[in-house]
Amino acid sequence: MIESAKTSAKGRAVFRWFFAAAFVFAVAASGLFTGLMNTAGLFYLVFGSAAAALMGFTGREIAMAFRYAAGHAPETEGLGKSAYFWQAAARNAWILGGLGSALNFMIALSRESAGIADVSNRMIQSLIVMLYGLVLAVVCLIPWMKLAGQAERTRLSEEGRPSSEAGSRPGAAGRAIDRIIGYILFVAVLALTVVFVIKGQPRSGDLSIGKLLLHWPAYLVVLGGAIALAIFVGAGAGARAWTLGFAMTGLVSLLMGLIQGLFGFVHRNVGEIASAVAFIISASSLTLLGLIAVAGPREDREVMEGRRERPGPLSRLFWVLLPLLTFIFLVLTFIMVVTPMKQKGSP
Amino acid sequence: MTERNSTNVSLDELLKKAFADDLPADVAAGMRERVERFREAKTGSASAAPGRSAAWGWIFRRSVWAAISVLLLAAGILLQGRGSSSPLAERISAIKTQYASLGTTRR
Repeated sequence: MIESAKTSAKGRAVFRWFFAAAFVFAVAASGLFTGLMNTAGLFYLVFGSAAAALMGFTGREIAMAFRYAAGHAPETEGLGKSAYFWQAAARNAWILGGLGSALNFMIALSRESAGIADVSNRMIQSLIVMLYGLVLAVVCLIPWMKLAGQAERTRLSEEGRPSSEAGSRPGAAGRAIDRIIGYILFVAVLALTVVFVIKGQPRSGDLSIGKLLLHWPAYLVVLGGAIALAIFVGAGAGARAWTLGFAMTGLVSLLMGLIQGLFGFVHRNVGEIASAVAFIISASSLTLLGLIAVAGPREDREVMEGRRERPGPLSRLFWVLLPLLTFIFLVLTFIMVVTPMKQKGSP
Repeated sequence: MTERNSTNVSLDELLKKAFADDLPADVAAGMRERVERFREAKTGSASAAPGRSAAWGWIFRRSVWAAISVLLLAAGILLQGRGSSSPLAERISAIKTQYASLGTTRR
Protein backbone atom coordinates (compact mmCIF):
# COMPACT_ATOMS: atom_id res chain seq x y z
CA MET A 1 0.00 0.00 0.00
CA ILE A 2 2.77 2.41 1.04
CA GLU A 3 4.87 1.29 -1.94
CA SER A 4 2.07 2.02 -4.42
CA ALA A 5 1.49 5.47 -2.83
CA LYS A 6 5.22 6.24 -3.24
CA THR A 7 5.16 5.12 -6.88
CA SER A 8 2.11 7.27 -7.53
CA ALA A 9 3.80 10.33 -5.93
CA LYS A 10 6.90 9.79 -8.08
CA GLY A 11 4.71 9.42 -11.16
CA ARG A 12 2.98 12.71 -10.40
CA ALA A 13 6.35 14.42 -9.87
CA VAL A 14 7.70 13.08 -13.19
CA PHE A 15 4.51 14.25 -14.90
CA ARG A 16 4.93 17.75 -13.38
CA TRP A 17 8.53 17.98 -14.61
CA PHE A 18 7.51 16.72 -18.02
CA PHE A 19 4.82 19.40 -18.10
CA ALA A 20 7.34 22.12 -17.08
CA ALA A 21 9.80 20.94 -19.77
CA ALA A 22 7.02 20.96 -22.37
CA PHE A 23 6.06 24.50 -21.27
CA VAL A 24 9.65 25.77 -21.71
CA PHE A 25 10.00 23.95 -25.03
CA ALA A 26 6.70 25.41 -26.27
CA VAL A 27 7.80 28.95 -25.35
CA ALA A 28 11.20 28.48 -27.04
CA ALA A 29 9.71 26.79 -30.13
CA SER A 30 6.98 29.40 -30.55
CA GLY A 31 9.76 32.00 -30.60
CA LEU A 32 11.10 30.39 -33.78
CA PHE A 33 7.93 31.28 -35.65
CA THR A 34 7.24 34.68 -34.12
CA GLY A 35 10.74 36.19 -34.33
CA LEU A 36 11.19 35.91 -30.56
CA MET A 37 14.12 33.49 -30.78
CA ASN A 38 17.47 34.47 -29.28
CA THR A 39 19.75 31.42 -29.17
CA ALA A 40 22.63 33.23 -27.45
CA GLY A 41 20.17 34.56 -24.85
CA LEU A 42 18.77 31.09 -24.21
CA PHE A 43 22.27 29.63 -23.80
CA TYR A 44 23.25 32.49 -21.47
CA LEU A 45 20.15 32.11 -19.32
CA VAL A 46 20.28 28.32 -18.87
CA PHE A 47 24.02 28.06 -18.16
CA GLY A 48 24.11 31.38 -16.32
CA SER A 49 21.39 30.11 -13.96
CA ALA A 50 23.41 26.94 -13.32
CA ALA A 51 26.51 29.02 -12.56
CA ALA A 52 24.56 31.41 -10.32
CA ALA A 53 23.16 28.45 -8.38
CA LEU A 54 26.69 27.11 -7.80
CA MET A 55 27.85 30.55 -6.58
CA GLY A 56 25.35 30.48 -3.70
CA PHE A 57 24.74 26.79 -3.03
CA THR A 58 26.83 23.63 -2.81
CA GLY A 59 26.41 20.81 -5.32
CA ARG A 60 24.93 18.70 -2.54
CA GLU A 61 22.30 21.31 -1.67
CA ILE A 62 21.36 21.67 -5.34
CA ALA A 63 21.06 17.88 -5.75
CA MET A 64 18.88 17.70 -2.63
CA ALA A 65 16.59 20.47 -3.95
CA PHE A 66 16.17 18.57 -7.23
CA ARG A 67 15.41 15.33 -5.35
CA TYR A 68 12.71 17.08 -3.30
CA ALA A 69 11.23 18.72 -6.40
CA ALA A 70 11.11 15.35 -8.15
CA GLY A 71 9.47 13.72 -5.13
CA HIS A 72 12.45 11.40 -4.51
CA ALA A 73 13.13 12.49 -0.91
CA PRO A 74 10.42 11.20 1.42
CA GLU A 75 12.13 12.48 4.61
CA THR A 76 11.28 16.05 5.69
CA GLU A 77 14.78 17.11 6.78
CA GLY A 78 16.03 20.07 4.73
CA LEU A 79 12.65 20.70 3.08
CA GLY A 80 12.65 24.43 3.94
CA LYS A 81 16.14 24.93 2.57
CA SER A 82 15.32 23.11 -0.65
CA ALA A 83 12.29 25.38 -1.02
CA TYR A 84 14.61 28.37 -0.54
CA PHE A 85 16.90 27.06 -3.30
CA TRP A 86 14.02 27.20 -5.80
CA GLN A 87 13.11 30.70 -4.68
CA ALA A 88 16.73 31.78 -5.21
CA ALA A 89 16.81 30.03 -8.62
CA ALA A 90 13.71 32.01 -9.68
CA ARG A 91 15.36 35.21 -8.45
CA ASN A 92 18.57 34.39 -10.36
CA ALA A 93 16.65 33.71 -13.59
CA TRP A 94 14.77 37.02 -13.29
CA ILE A 95 17.92 39.06 -12.55
CA LEU A 96 19.90 37.24 -15.26
CA GLY A 97 17.12 38.08 -17.72
CA GLY A 98 17.47 41.78 -16.90
CA LEU A 99 21.26 41.63 -17.05
CA GLY A 100 21.23 39.74 -20.35
CA SER A 101 18.87 42.29 -21.89
CA ALA A 102 21.03 45.21 -20.75
CA LEU A 103 24.26 43.60 -22.04
CA ASN A 104 22.65 42.70 -25.37
CA PHE A 105 21.28 46.25 -25.66
CA MET A 106 24.73 47.69 -25.01
CA ILE A 107 26.33 45.41 -27.62
CA ALA A 108 23.57 46.25 -30.13
CA LEU A 109 24.28 49.97 -29.73
CA SER A 110 28.06 49.57 -29.82
CA ARG A 111 28.26 47.75 -33.19
CA GLU A 112 28.39 49.35 -36.62
CA SER A 113 24.84 49.56 -37.94
CA ALA A 114 23.68 48.63 -41.42
CA GLY A 115 20.93 51.21 -41.20
CA ILE A 116 18.32 52.40 -38.73
CA ALA A 117 16.08 49.36 -39.15
CA ASP A 118 19.01 47.03 -38.36
CA VAL A 119 20.03 48.69 -35.12
CA SER A 120 16.39 49.05 -33.98
CA ASN A 121 15.84 45.38 -34.69
CA ARG A 122 18.91 44.42 -32.61
CA MET A 123 17.82 46.64 -29.71
CA ILE A 124 14.37 45.04 -29.60
CA GLN A 125 15.85 41.53 -29.97
CA SER A 126 17.88 42.13 -26.82
CA LEU A 127 14.70 42.50 -24.74
CA ILE A 128 13.76 38.86 -25.51
CA VAL A 129 16.28 37.63 -22.91
CA MET A 130 14.09 39.25 -20.24
CA LEU A 131 11.14 37.20 -21.48
CA TYR A 132 13.20 34.01 -21.19
CA GLY A 133 14.23 35.02 -17.67
CA LEU A 134 10.60 35.50 -16.68
CA VAL A 135 9.59 32.09 -18.08
CA LEU A 136 12.45 30.33 -16.26
CA ALA A 137 11.60 32.19 -13.04
CA VAL A 138 7.98 31.00 -13.27
CA VAL A 139 9.16 27.40 -13.81
CA CYS A 140 11.41 27.65 -10.72
CA LEU A 141 8.62 29.16 -8.63
CA ILE A 142 6.45 26.03 -9.08
CA PRO A 143 8.67 23.69 -6.97
CA TRP A 144 9.23 26.57 -4.51
CA MET A 145 5.48 26.93 -3.90
CA LYS A 146 5.05 23.18 -3.54
CA LEU A 147 8.01 22.67 -1.17
CA ALA A 148 7.34 25.84 0.86
CA GLY A 149 3.79 24.61 1.54
CA GLN A 150 5.08 21.18 2.62
CA ALA A 151 7.78 22.77 4.80
CA GLU A 152 5.19 24.97 6.51
CA ARG A 153 2.95 21.97 7.24
CA THR A 154 5.94 19.98 8.56
CA ARG A 155 7.03 22.88 10.76
CA LEU A 156 3.53 23.20 12.27
CA SER A 157 3.23 19.46 12.93
CA GLU A 158 6.72 19.26 14.46
CA GLU A 159 6.44 22.44 16.53
CA GLY A 160 7.93 21.84 19.97
CA ARG A 161 10.23 19.04 18.81
CA PRO A 162 13.95 19.74 18.43
CA SER A 163 14.69 21.09 14.97
CA SER A 164 16.38 18.77 12.47
CA GLU A 165 16.47 21.32 9.64
CA ALA A 166 20.18 22.01 9.97
CA GLY A 167 21.12 18.61 8.53
CA SER A 168 24.70 17.69 7.75
CA ARG A 169 26.66 20.62 6.39
CA PRO A 170 29.48 20.28 3.91
CA GLY A 171 32.90 21.49 5.01
CA ALA A 172 34.24 24.97 4.26
CA ALA A 173 36.61 23.53 1.63
CA GLY A 174 33.73 21.85 -0.24
CA ARG A 175 31.72 25.08 -0.21
CA ALA A 176 34.69 27.10 -1.46
CA ILE A 177 35.33 24.70 -4.37
CA ASP A 178 31.67 24.85 -5.45
CA ARG A 179 31.71 28.64 -5.31
CA ILE A 180 34.94 28.90 -7.30
CA ILE A 181 33.50 26.57 -9.97
CA GLY A 182 30.33 28.68 -9.99
CA TYR A 183 32.24 31.95 -10.51
CA ILE A 184 34.49 30.47 -13.23
CA LEU A 185 31.45 29.06 -15.02
CA PHE A 186 29.64 32.40 -14.73
CA VAL A 187 32.55 34.35 -16.24
CA ALA A 188 32.87 31.76 -19.02
CA VAL A 189 29.13 31.96 -19.79
CA LEU A 190 29.25 35.78 -19.91
CA ALA A 191 32.30 35.76 -22.20
CA LEU A 192 30.85 33.09 -24.52
CA THR A 193 27.52 34.95 -24.72
CA VAL A 194 29.26 38.18 -25.72
CA VAL A 195 31.22 36.21 -28.38
CA PHE A 196 28.00 34.59 -29.71
CA VAL A 197 26.15 37.92 -29.83
CA ILE A 198 29.03 39.75 -31.54
CA LYS A 199 29.44 36.95 -34.11
CA GLY A 200 26.04 37.68 -35.62
CA GLN A 201 26.54 41.45 -35.79
CA PRO A 202 28.70 43.82 -37.88
CA ARG A 203 32.11 44.94 -36.55
CA SER A 204 32.54 48.08 -34.45
CA GLY A 205 35.59 49.58 -36.15
CA ASP A 206 39.03 49.42 -34.57
CA LEU A 207 37.86 49.56 -30.96
CA SER A 208 37.71 46.35 -28.94
CA ILE A 209 34.41 45.30 -27.41
CA GLY A 210 35.90 45.76 -23.91
CA LYS A 211 36.57 49.44 -24.57
CA LEU A 212 33.14 49.93 -26.12
CA LEU A 213 31.34 48.43 -23.13
CA LEU A 214 33.15 50.60 -20.60
CA HIS A 215 31.38 53.80 -19.64
CA TRP A 216 33.53 54.72 -16.64
CA PRO A 217 31.28 57.26 -14.86
CA ALA A 218 28.52 54.64 -14.45
CA TYR A 219 30.90 52.00 -13.11
CA LEU A 220 32.49 54.47 -10.69
CA VAL A 221 29.11 55.59 -9.33
CA VAL A 222 27.72 52.07 -8.88
CA LEU A 223 30.91 50.57 -7.39
CA GLY A 224 31.66 53.54 -5.14
CA GLY A 225 28.05 53.87 -3.99
CA ALA A 226 27.60 50.17 -3.31
CA ILE A 227 30.82 49.88 -1.27
CA ALA A 228 30.07 53.10 0.65
CA LEU A 229 26.54 52.01 1.54
CA ALA A 230 27.65 48.50 2.51
CA ILE A 231 30.33 49.98 4.81
CA PHE A 232 27.99 52.52 6.38
CA VAL A 233 25.22 49.97 6.97
CA GLY A 234 27.78 47.88 8.87
CA ALA A 235 28.71 44.26 9.37
CA GLY A 236 25.60 43.58 11.49
CA ALA A 237 23.38 43.67 8.42
CA GLY A 238 25.53 40.99 6.75
CA ALA A 239 24.84 40.32 3.08
CA ARG A 240 21.75 42.53 3.14
CA ALA A 241 24.07 45.54 3.22
CA TRP A 242 25.41 44.56 -0.24
CA THR A 243 21.92 44.08 -1.67
CA LEU A 244 20.91 47.48 -0.32
CA GLY A 245 24.17 49.05 -1.55
CA PHE A 246 23.90 47.82 -5.13
CA ALA A 247 20.13 48.32 -5.37
CA MET A 248 20.04 51.87 -3.98
CA THR A 249 23.02 52.99 -6.08
CA GLY A 250 21.41 51.40 -9.12
CA LEU A 251 18.15 53.26 -8.49
CA VAL A 252 19.99 56.56 -8.03
CA SER A 253 22.00 55.96 -11.22
CA LEU A 254 18.92 55.16 -13.28
CA LEU A 255 17.19 58.35 -12.12
CA MET A 256 20.35 60.41 -12.69
CA GLY A 257 20.64 59.10 -16.23
CA LEU A 258 16.97 59.71 -16.98
CA ILE A 259 17.08 63.30 -15.71
CA GLN A 260 20.25 63.99 -17.69
CA GLY A 261 18.65 62.52 -20.81
CA LEU A 262 15.57 64.72 -20.40
CA PHE A 263 17.81 67.77 -19.98
CA GLY A 264 19.56 66.70 -23.20
CA PHE A 265 16.20 66.93 -25.01
CA VAL A 266 15.56 70.38 -23.52
CA HIS A 267 19.06 71.59 -24.48
CA ARG A 268 18.77 69.84 -27.87
CA ASN A 269 22.17 68.26 -27.25
CA VAL A 270 22.67 64.80 -28.80
CA GLY A 271 25.95 64.25 -26.92
CA GLU A 272 24.23 64.77 -23.57
CA ILE A 273 21.45 62.32 -24.46
CA ALA A 274 23.98 59.74 -25.70
CA SER A 275 26.00 60.08 -22.49
CA ALA A 276 22.82 59.63 -20.41
CA VAL A 277 21.78 56.54 -22.37
CA ALA A 278 25.27 55.00 -21.98
CA PHE A 279 25.12 55.81 -18.26
CA ILE A 280 21.70 54.17 -17.78
CA ILE A 281 22.61 50.96 -19.62
CA SER A 282 26.07 50.61 -17.99
CA ALA A 283 24.77 51.39 -14.48
CA SER A 284 21.87 48.95 -14.71
CA SER A 285 24.21 46.21 -16.03
CA LEU A 286 26.70 46.63 -13.19
CA THR A 287 23.92 46.86 -10.57
CA LEU A 288 22.37 43.59 -11.71
CA LEU A 289 25.83 41.99 -11.95
CA GLY A 290 26.51 43.05 -8.35
CA LEU A 291 23.18 41.63 -7.19
CA ILE A 292 23.66 38.26 -8.93
CA ALA A 293 27.39 37.77 -8.27
CA VAL A 294 27.99 39.46 -4.91
CA ALA A 295 24.84 40.14 -2.88
CA GLY A 296 22.66 37.16 -3.89
CA PRO A 297 25.18 34.36 -3.19
CA ARG A 298 26.10 35.95 0.17
CA GLU A 299 22.45 36.09 1.23
CA ASP A 300 22.00 32.48 0.06
CA ARG A 301 24.93 31.31 2.21
CA GLU A 302 23.52 33.10 5.25
CA VAL A 303 20.21 31.25 4.89
CA MET A 304 21.74 27.87 4.06
CA GLU A 305 24.18 28.06 6.99
CA GLY A 306 21.32 28.94 9.36
CA ARG A 307 22.62 32.44 10.18
CA ARG A 308 19.29 33.88 9.01
CA GLU A 309 15.89 32.30 8.59
CA ARG A 310 15.16 34.05 5.29
CA PRO A 311 16.38 37.03 3.26
CA GLY A 312 15.16 40.45 4.36
CA PRO A 313 11.94 41.91 2.91
CA LEU A 314 13.88 44.85 1.41
CA SER A 315 16.26 42.45 -0.37
CA ARG A 316 13.33 40.54 -1.85
CA LEU A 317 11.71 43.78 -2.98
CA PHE A 318 14.91 44.91 -4.72
CA TRP A 319 15.42 41.53 -6.41
CA VAL A 320 12.01 41.90 -8.06
CA LEU A 321 12.15 45.65 -8.63
CA LEU A 322 15.62 46.21 -10.13
CA PRO A 323 15.30 43.89 -13.19
CA LEU A 324 11.82 45.29 -13.85
CA LEU A 325 13.12 48.86 -13.66
CA THR A 326 16.02 47.90 -15.92
CA PHE A 327 13.53 46.66 -18.51
CA ILE A 328 11.46 49.86 -18.26
CA PHE A 329 14.57 52.04 -18.54
CA LEU A 330 15.83 50.05 -21.55
CA VAL A 331 12.53 50.76 -23.28
CA LEU A 332 12.89 54.44 -22.31
CA THR A 333 16.44 54.57 -23.69
CA PHE A 334 15.21 52.95 -26.90
CA ILE A 335 12.64 55.75 -27.21
CA MET A 336 15.36 58.34 -26.43
CA VAL A 337 17.58 56.93 -29.18
CA VAL A 338 14.92 56.64 -31.90
CA THR A 339 13.18 59.99 -31.23
CA PRO A 340 14.32 62.37 -33.99
CA MET A 341 15.58 65.69 -32.63
CA LYS A 342 16.89 68.84 -34.24
CA GLN A 343 20.34 69.82 -32.87
CA LYS A 344 20.76 73.32 -31.43
CA GLY A 345 21.94 75.68 -34.16
CA SER A 346 20.93 73.38 -37.04
CA PRO A 347 18.46 74.82 -39.63
CA MET B 1 23.86 26.91 64.21
CA THR B 2 26.10 25.01 66.61
CA GLU B 3 25.77 21.89 64.54
CA ARG B 4 26.87 23.80 61.38
CA ASN B 5 29.92 25.25 63.15
CA SER B 6 31.03 21.84 64.26
CA THR B 7 30.71 20.56 60.65
CA ASN B 8 32.87 23.45 59.41
CA VAL B 9 35.50 22.73 62.00
CA SER B 10 35.67 19.06 61.02
CA LEU B 11 35.91 20.02 57.32
CA ASP B 12 38.74 22.45 58.11
CA GLU B 13 40.61 19.74 59.87
CA LEU B 14 40.07 17.35 57.00
CA LEU B 15 41.43 19.93 54.51
CA LYS B 16 44.45 20.66 56.70
CA LYS B 17 45.25 16.96 56.83
CA ALA B 18 44.74 16.46 53.08
CA PHE B 19 46.86 19.47 52.05
CA ALA B 20 49.52 19.19 54.71
CA ASP B 21 52.28 19.46 52.09
CA ASP B 22 52.78 22.15 49.41
CA LEU B 23 50.48 22.15 46.33
CA PRO B 24 51.54 19.89 43.45
CA ALA B 25 53.64 21.86 40.92
CA ASP B 26 51.16 21.55 37.99
CA VAL B 27 48.23 22.65 40.15
CA ALA B 28 50.21 25.66 41.42
CA ALA B 29 51.22 26.60 37.85
CA GLY B 30 47.62 26.34 36.67
CA MET B 31 46.41 28.52 39.54
CA ARG B 32 49.12 31.11 38.89
CA GLU B 33 48.13 31.22 35.21
CA ARG B 34 44.47 31.71 36.04
CA VAL B 35 45.25 34.50 38.51
CA GLU B 36 47.41 36.17 35.87
CA ARG B 37 44.66 35.97 33.27
CA PHE B 38 42.16 37.40 35.76
CA ARG B 39 44.51 40.32 36.54
CA GLU B 40 45.08 41.05 32.82
CA ALA B 41 41.38 41.06 32.11
CA LYS B 42 40.80 43.51 34.96
CA THR B 43 43.69 45.86 34.33
CA GLY B 44 43.94 45.54 30.52
CA SER B 45 47.74 45.46 30.60
CA ALA B 46 50.35 44.56 27.98
CA SER B 47 48.63 41.59 26.35
CA ALA B 48 45.59 43.73 25.40
CA ALA B 49 47.76 45.94 23.20
CA PRO B 50 47.95 43.64 20.11
CA GLY B 51 44.16 43.24 20.16
CA ARG B 52 43.72 46.99 20.38
CA SER B 53 46.11 47.63 17.49
CA ALA B 54 44.29 45.00 15.41
CA ALA B 55 41.02 46.81 16.11
CA TRP B 56 42.61 50.12 15.08
CA GLY B 57 43.92 48.45 11.92
CA TRP B 58 40.45 47.20 11.13
CA ILE B 59 38.91 50.63 11.67
CA PHE B 60 41.69 52.17 9.57
CA ARG B 61 41.02 49.73 6.74
CA ARG B 62 37.31 50.43 6.93
CA SER B 63 37.83 54.17 6.87
CA VAL B 64 40.23 53.84 3.92
CA TRP B 65 37.61 51.84 2.06
CA ALA B 66 34.92 54.35 2.98
CA ALA B 67 37.08 57.24 1.70
CA ILE B 68 37.94 55.40 -1.55
CA SER B 69 34.31 54.51 -2.20
CA VAL B 70 33.11 58.08 -1.59
CA LEU B 71 35.86 59.36 -3.91
CA LEU B 72 34.82 56.86 -6.62
CA LEU B 73 31.20 57.95 -6.27
CA ALA B 74 32.04 61.65 -6.43
CA ALA B 75 34.39 61.11 -9.41
CA GLY B 76 31.68 59.19 -11.28
CA ILE B 77 29.05 61.87 -10.68
CA LEU B 78 31.47 64.67 -11.67
CA LEU B 79 32.58 62.87 -14.84
CA GLN B 80 28.99 62.20 -15.89
CA GLY B 81 27.89 65.73 -14.99
CA ARG B 82 30.68 67.26 -17.10
CA GLY B 83 29.48 65.20 -20.04
CA SER B 84 32.60 63.05 -20.41
CA SER B 85 32.31 60.91 -23.50
CA SER B 86 33.07 57.23 -24.01
CA PRO B 87 33.23 55.07 -27.16
CA LEU B 88 29.76 53.75 -26.29
CA ALA B 89 28.32 57.27 -25.91
CA GLU B 90 29.93 58.31 -29.21
CA ARG B 91 28.37 55.32 -30.98
CA ILE B 92 24.95 56.13 -29.49
CA SER B 93 25.43 59.75 -30.56
CA ALA B 94 26.12 58.58 -34.14
CA ILE B 95 22.98 56.43 -34.18
CA LYS B 96 20.91 59.30 -32.77
CA THR B 97 22.26 61.65 -35.45
CA GLN B 98 21.33 59.05 -38.09
CA TYR B 99 17.78 59.01 -36.72
CA ALA B 100 17.69 62.83 -36.68
CA SER B 101 18.82 63.04 -40.31
CA LEU B 102 16.18 60.45 -41.22
CA GLY B 103 13.52 62.68 -39.63
CA THR B 104 14.81 65.73 -41.54
CA THR B 105 14.87 63.83 -44.87
CA ARG B 106 11.27 62.69 -44.37
CA ARG B 107 10.16 66.28 -43.80
